[in-house]
Amino acid sequence: MSGGAILDVRHLKVDLATERGTLHAVRDISFSVEPGRTLCIVGESGCGKSMTSLAIMDLLPKSARRTAETLSFRGEDIGSPKVMGRLRGDRIAMIFQEPMTALNPAYTIGDQLCEAYRHHRKASAREAREKAIALLERVGIASAGDRLGQFPHQLSGGLRQRVMIAMALMCGPSLLIADEPTTALDVTIQAQILRLLAELQEELGIALVLITHDLGIVARIADDVAVMYAGQIVEQGKAGDIFGDPHHPYTRGLIDCIPQPGKTRPGERLGTIANTVPSLVGEMRGCAFRDRCPHARPVCAEDVPERRAGDHMWRCVLEALP
Amino acid sequence: MLRFATRRLALALLVALTVSAISFFLLRLSGDIAIALAGEGARDIDIEAIRAQYGLDRPLLFQYGEWLLQVLGGDLGTSLFFRTSVGALVLDKLPVTLILGISSLLFALLISIPLGVLAAIYRNTWIDRLALSIAVVGQALPNFFFALILVMIFSIGLRWLPVSGSGSWQNFVMPTIALGYYVAPAFMRLVRAGMVEVLSADYIRTARAKGLSRRSVIVKHALRNAVVPVVSLSAVQLGYLLGGSVVIETIFALDGLGFLAYESITQKDFPVTQAVVMLLSVFYVLLTFVGDLVNAWLDPRIRVA
Amino acid sequence: MTESTAFAAVAMPSAGARLRRRVFGHKSLVFGASLLAVIVLVALLAPLIAPYDPYAQNLLARTQPPVWYEAGTWAHPLGTDNLGRDYLSRMIYGARISLVIGFSVMVISGLIGTTMGLLAGYFGGTVDLVVTFLVTTRLAMPVILVALAIVAILGGSLLVVVLVLGFLKWDRFAVVMRSATQQVRSQDYVAAAQAAGASTPRILFGEVLPNVFAQLVVVATLEAASAILLEAALSFLGLGVQPPLPSWGLMISEAKAYMFFSFWLIAIPGTALALLILAINLAGDGLRDIVAPEGRE
Repeated sequence: MSGGAILDVRHLKVDLATERGTLHAVRDISFSVEPGRTLCIVGESGCGKSMTSLAIMDLLPKSARRTAETLSFRGEDIGSPKVMGRLRGDRIAMIFQEPMTALNPAYTIGDQLCEAYRHHRKASAREAREKAIALLERVGIASAGDRLGQFPHQLSGGLRQRVMIAMALMCGPSLLIADEPTTALDVTIQAQILRLLAELQEELGIALVLITHDLGIVARIADDVAVMYAGQIVEQGKAGDIFGDPHHPYTRGLIDCIPQPGKTRPGERLGTIANTVPSLVGEMRGCAFRDRCPHARPVCAEDVPERRAGDHMWRCVLEALP
Repeated sequence: MLRFATRRLALALLVALTVSAISFFLLRLSGDIAIALAGEGARDIDIEAIRAQYGLDRPLLFQYGEWLLQVLGGDLGTSLFFRTSVGALVLDKLPVTLILGISSLLFALLISIPLGVLAAIYRNTWIDRLALSIAVVGQALPNFFFALILVMIFSIGLRWLPVSGSGSWQNFVMPTIALGYYVAPAFMRLVRAGMVEVLSADYIRTARAKGLSRRSVIVKHALRNAVVPVVSLSAVQLGYLLGGSVVIETIFALDGLGFLAYESITQKDFPVTQAVVMLLSVFYVLLTFVGDLVNAWLDPRIRVA
Repeated sequence: MTESTAFAAVAMPSAGARLRRRVFGHKSLVFGASLLAVIVLVALLAPLIAPYDPYAQNLLARTQPPVWYEAGTWAHPLGTDNLGRDYLSRMIYGARISLVIGFSVMVISGLIGTTMGLLAGYFGGTVDLVVTFLVTTRLAMPVILVALAIVAILGGSLLVVVLVLGFLKWDRFAVVMRSATQQVRSQDYVAAAQAAGASTPRILFGEVLPNVFAQLVVVATLEAASAILLEAALSFLGLGVQPPLPSWGLMISEAKAYMFFSFWLIAIPGTALALLILAINLAGDGLRDIVAPEGRE
């Protein structure tokens, strides 16, 4: 899109080999992230949003095959494993969904915090330790020095996710990808972690790609939004446009599912989307959402046009929602 | 941890005691030692004399109690064949068997851990299938047959290694291989299964996301966790290896406990057989006990509770 | 599936067809089972296919080499041993001994171990404690050494070897059956049978045993292989099956003195043993994959 993008993804596809055939998890998506901004990729589970993040990081499972026309980070081709090997964990960091299992049970927090910094920065143990303590304090962990000697099982889920965030920030990355970072946590902890991420993003000027299924989170944190459905981006644009003027029936459906303070009256029914996501195995033609769409018509089985209005993009046979 | 240790220790002691009773009664009930001692064609009067001399005319339970007290006091009795102290005899042969047991365990680990890791990393490729085939064939090859093949190649064919004896390190090469290869497949499968599981763990993905080297991800993050069950299997297998030394030491006339035990059995030298059986059982019990402790210690979730 | 559905589902084959495909698609299982079947057939038909009496000595035709050696003849395709006995005939009859040992030891130790494991897993508590203790004690005893000692005392014979090994090798049956039974016991249908007032033996043999049977078969094959190897080792050491029986282990032992000039006397029974064990292990491993496919991945 714009020349200043820190991350540029063009025509990314991810295929998974399964027993039942090839599963097209990501079907030709393009987006870009600008420095210091937050892009939220939102969609139901199985829509390919996690595969997208793993594809960018080159951390896909062995059964997956990735193709992309462009995968670039500040103009460098991160489609090349060699380039990515240098940037991963240093300039580009990632946070995962499961803080309970994402830390190695055999090593202390301190060891796991310091190793990437020492690896990328060739820093001494003492430097790394100081950096780790400073960051643990920054992410709101009290008595950080003592925590360094503890093992993951001695920490609560919320603390572990803070450790994960600190770990991702050790090398001072300019792009942070967070895959459902709050899903596994209690609601109150979720809010704290989210606030922390937003603060850090602003303070450090990092570009943040946040993957989530929760449109409520998107509404609070996103600058830009990409809505994914069945491996495709069905609508994309500035957060204000997406929430204020959704053009895709699926986005509209998702928004109707969020309770809105002041608007939703107690006892009122929230919107729901009927049926479930279709299987991603095999080829697809036409709009993937048509089985669930309230506005579906015969023409939906044919190729869907990509429509644009400025930065706002959506894929639908309809020019505007009725 | 301490509670766990004491309970396991109590079980270990109880097992050792039971094995001692079994080995004692089995050997006593199975035949008249006095007749064996007196030799063929001995007169009844000689047999009676021997019975009295060795205290064999007293009730069995009494004899067991006495024997157990002696054993606890470090007296394993007198060899009927060598006419010397069983304790001294066993102590004399123990180092050879320990060296053989430990070297064959190391040999097994040395080939099985890399193979298991490779098989897991290259799962479902030809490397995996090759490693698995080696394991399957290895497990099918009787160790005495394999030992003879080694002799044929390295002693008779190439003349590199001595056929028998226990004088130098060369005497240990073939016995180590012949004993060690047989337990390697079990380790290989365990390491492979462990690595396959660990490699798909979330924390491995985290380690990769940190941009660590492939080596560091595999060795530091994956192998460290996958190797934990190998420790307790090592303890069990070392016990097995010490027992299995009977066949291998006999083939190579390696002068250790196994060879001693075999000779004592063919010569009906029961006090020696009993002592070796006891010793190996106690070793096994101790080893599994230590293995469990090390295992618990290796897992911070148990150690730092 | 209607035209308007965005994605086509792939039809799944029936469960029976899938099982058949898994069994016959499992190459090593098919190979192991076929090899085993051939060996069993040879053993069963021994009197019909063996060219000579396996005990008939011919001192004029001693240690003749097999047919692939220059001095070998088709009269004795695998040559003759040091007493001039036809090696092929001895090998064929030897298969009987190995199979009898494997099968009988498996049955005896299987009965003992399965009973112990079932009881421990089903009743738990003190019974479980006692069984666990017995298993630990048994594991602590060095099998070969104890077997050697007992055979030395009782005198070596096929029956003694079978009994000794049968009474020593029940540990794995007990361990596997115990945990399998523990799992089955927590299932709803066992609780339903208990609630319906079924007697304990009825529950054990009617409900629990059929559900742990698959795992039992896997252990049984692997234990049979291990018993065959142990018999061979005992006979090799001279404290197993006694001459003139053509046990493969004993044949290797008898050939030891001639290994320098006639290594084939060792290589032939050794290879046969390895092939038999390989066949049983492949079949057992294959069965395990079929029974618990998650076990391998």
